[in-house]
Amino acid sequence: MRNDYLTIALCKGNLLKPTLALLVAAGLPHEGVSADSRNLVFTFEDKAVKYLMCRPTDVPTYVEQGAADLGIVGKDVIVEQQKDVFELVDLGFGACRFVVAVPAALKDNRLKDLNYRRVATKFPRVAEEFFRSQGMQVQVIKLHGNIELAPIIGIADLIVDIVSTGRTLRENNLVALTTIMESTTRLISNRVSFRTKFDRIEPLVQVMQRIAKEGRDSEN
Amino acid sequence: MKNKEIPKGLRDFLPEEVKARRQMEQKALKLFRSYGYKEVRTPTLEYLDVIEAGTGRNSWEELYLFIDREGRILSLRPEMTVAIARLAATHLREAVYPQRLCYIANMFRHVQPQKAQYREFWQMGIELLGASGARADAEVISIAVEALHSLGLDNFKISLNQIEIFNSLLDDSGLPEREKKLVRQLVENKDLVELTRFLNNTKIDDGLKETIARLPVLHGGIEVLDQLGNGEKNRRAAQAGAELLKVYEDLKACGVQDHIVIDMGVLRGLDYYTGIVFEGYSSELGYGLLGGGRYDNLLNQYGFPCPATGFAIGMDRLALVLKEKEEEPVCYLVGGTDWELIVKKAQELREQGYTVEIDVQNCTREELTERVQIMDHYQLVFLDQTGDQMLGEKE
Repeated sequence: MRNDYLTIALCKGNLLKPTLALLVAAGLPHEGVSADSRNLVFTFEDKAVKYLMCRPTDVPTYVEQGAADLGIVGKDVIVEQQKDVFELVDLGFGACRFVVAVPAALKDNRLKDLNYRRVATKFPRVAEEFFRSQGMQVQVIKLHGNIELAPIIGIADLIVDIVSTGRTLRENNLVALTTIMESTTRLISNRVSFRTKFDRIEPLVQVMQRIAKEGRDSEN
Repeated sequence: MKNKEIPKGLRDFLPEEVKARRQMEQKALKLFRSYGYKEVRTPTLEYLDVIEAGTGRNSWEELYLFIDREGRILSLRPEMTVAIARLAATHLREAVYPQRLCYIANMFRHVQPQKAQYREFWQMGIELLGASGARADAEVISIAVEALHSLGLDNFKISLNQIEIFNSLLDDSGLPEREKKLVRQLVENKDLVELTRFLNNTKIDDGLKETIARLPVLHGGIEVLDQLGNGEKNRRAAQAGAELLKVYEDLKACGVQDHIVIDMGVLRGLDYYTGIVFEGYSSELGYGLLGGGRYDNLLNQYGFPCPATGFAIGMDRLALVLKEKEEEPVCYLVGGTDWELIVKKAQELREQGYTVEIDVQNCTREELTERVQIMDHYQLVFLDQTGDQMLGEKE
């Protein structure tokens, strides 16, 4: 990694489109950056900017380790991983929430009634901490995808997952019982880069804060 | 092969690494000594009570704890400053102050092992005891700069702050202790998102809110002090700001200001810091290299009121950014047929300051010639019956 580059880790997938829009609005180079290309690193020599295309769950790791100075990634990923990174801007897009969901048949239960049950999730840490904070103990079952299937096939009684529209829950006959937390996309920074590259990062933080605020204002 | 495992987060050091470490230690020690710092050692184990008296009761999960046969709780030392404070309060009460002490030692913390973070890690550092005031801080910080220089690092910054600025502003907020702690954590982790959200939900005065929210990004030259906003209304904060300025001026006189930046977000995790605090970073490593600051109340925890300041360098992290290796000096391999002649020749060469290995396996000249071919810096001296030397030819 050349030291004078500002390296930013970006998420492939759903977040990429709004992320690219943000880069454009923030005046950062973006020509040719896309997930379709096989390219995993995009270098803009004239602007001294480099992008790493990553899986969302890898972004906090890249940033913590200093492979990237900045990262753009969902709070859902950040909170699950608890990496040692700075969280600089709430970018507003990619909104979703962590919910506890149950099969429709259980929907009249209160959370407290579900003590000692099995919880399937991609987010074991979030799930564990939430139930513990409620004074409950559950058995957390870590799965890597299709969490909604778990209650149907009977390996879990409830699930903790992120939802944005709630459609997937409905399609699988699940009902959100309670919301654990809201999540949006964030700009994160490596602890040392924030200091050694402050002159480049700080103006970017200002710009992105402004863009995010304009986005919120136009929604209201 | 279970019987070859070592506990997670620990490591072996091979000769090359130990050599590099020794060089690091010697350079640092030489520098510390030149400023009058004297080396001390303390036990690897301390009573938990002693550690908690210094660092507060918040780090249990990171400590390696044991119960000794008398039923008291012991901890592998997680850091050195507390031990030195205890040592001074026990043995150096009658000494003439200021006292300048230094150390090189291994510490133990039960952390998640990763690059640049081990469960047994090495630190070297200094503590200047019995001196308050900007000059003492400036001495310690300029030694930190010089230490990194002398170890071969050029591209680094020291972030400087006075934590009383933050503490007094926070006291102004009137928040309960628990929430203060949270704000402190948010500022330290530069979690701007949660910090803003939290402050917006409190009843703190708007000006103060804005000032606290900006602290984590107040970073730059000494002029960032002018951007303190509400800080000027608060006498304690203004005083702390003036002290920071004084230290900065004194550091200029030491000629190290190029490496100094002011960073209001540096708070250091430990409870015992009371004034000037600082951290060192290199752009080549995503983790801090050194940390330190003033801890004027710590020695009083051991019944000996005494102002103090110091820092520690993380040697494992430093080793990752130091690339230059010193040239391996030549090593003579002395072999031959007559043992007496071999020993005599080897002794002669050692007296001239060379490193000399003796062939203890009765090898022939051909065998030894072959051996030095594969070992770069070895030079063969083979003695025949009459004691005539035949130098091994290198290709």
